Amino acid sequence: MAGLLLDIVGAALLALGLTLATIGLYGLLRKPGLFDQLHAAGLITGPAIVLILLASVATRNLDVITSAVLLILFLLITAPLSTQAIAQAAHRRALGDQAPAIEDEADTAR
Amino acid sequence: MPDVVFEIAAGWATLLLLVGGALLLRAHDTLERVLALDVLVVILIALLTTLSYVRDVSYYIDAALGLALLALTSTLVAARHVIRGGAF
Repeated sequence: MAGLLLDIVGAALLALGLTLATIGLYGLLRKPGLFDQLHAAGLITGPAIVLILLASVATRNLDVITSAVLLILFLLITAPLSTQAIAQAAHRRALGDQAPAIEDEADTAR
Repeated sequence: MPDVVFEIAAGWATLLLLVGGALLLRAHDTLERVLALDVLVVILIALLTTLSYVRDVSYYIDAALGLALLALTSTLVAARHVIRGGAF
């Protein structure tokens, strides 16, 4: 009974994660600007891959589950970093030469 | 868990990888290409994960961890290159 429940939960997590990844890719293909694309990509690099990795509980293999948890922790830390780096590069490039070194957020708000 | 579920998931992830390749080919400028590569790596991680579930070994997820580390480094360096014209 508990095994069947674990199977159902694993299959549901896997299906949900892959569906979210599909939706995110569709958004990436449809949206025109880079910042909108970053929004759609956040769906893939955040929730989708975490759900797919969480489905490892259905394998009942402790090696697989440990590696998956480590990868989840790593991805939760690094995915926002790379997204922010791309957004910052696009922002600086759009501002061009008029961008001050660091405090450009405060200057553009005025 | 029936293996069929994992095999379907691996096939689905492969299809997503193909769509991601199309996304990379469609990108207009450098940063969109960097973003597309970032997303491609994440889809590849999903594919390696499902492959690890199919074969019931953990090595594929460890390989995916190394791949994620490389992807983070390359994305940070490429974004820096766009801003400053050099990697460092």
